[in-house]
Amino acid sequence: MARHSKEGPRFAGTQNQALFMLIVGLLAWLVPGAGHFALKEKKRAIIIFATIVLTFCIGLYVGSIGVIDLVGATPWYVVLAQIMNSPMVALLGRLTAGGDYPVYGWPNEIGQIYTSTAGLLNLLCIVNAVYLAHLHSAETAGG
Amino acid sequence: MLVEAIFVIASFTAPKEIGVNPQSMLWLLPLAAAIAVVYKATKLPTIKARNFIKEAAILFGSIIVFIIITALALHTLARLITE
Repeated sequence: MARHSKEGPRFAGTQNQALFMLIVGLLAWLVPGAGHFALKEKKRAIIIFATIVLTFCIGLYVGSIGVIDLVGATPWYVVLAQIMNSPMVALLGRLTAGGDYPVYGWPNEIGQIYTSTAGLLNLLCIVNAVYLAHLHSAETAGG
Repeated sequence: MLVEAIFVIASFTAPKEIGVNPQSMLWLLPLAAAIAVVYKATKLPTIKARNFIKEAAILFGSIIVFIIITALALHTLARLITE
């Protein structure tokens, strides 16, 4: 019984820490830079948001929204990288699913490279935000 | 204003015409810049404008120099094989 009362708060603390990290990770995925913003790293958040959104938009501008092709012939790893930008990319994918925005050749290549690189950069930022959240909660727990 | 907004949105519905030529390789520059900026935004302990721009510029330059060296090596190799 004593063991339970001793480990209870520690377990609750670990649960809270995991929940906090999960929320930061989800925020960072929903909106690029939002994870850092939640951690009060505002400068980092603004830089990350502006750069990733701009890179993604350049990809869409060059190749049109047709480069977001979730159900077509686009390789799965490109789709996965594009989805890492934000779950909202899936909504864009539904818009283009009918094949109304065909894109081929070099513009398609450049568009896919830009949008998937933006997604991979956001993945780096998600991991970094979760790591910073871990450090913050460890500091808080340590006093 | 509404018409301008519609034109901007419409520009995202048709691909741009980009020829397969040496100039099209310049599209790697904005991408390398984005990679350098985001990487440094996650790695620097504190973000101060002057230091951040310097670090990002050094990384951007390193990426471009490495790409140029790789391109020259591959070009030389291709020449040796095909001639």
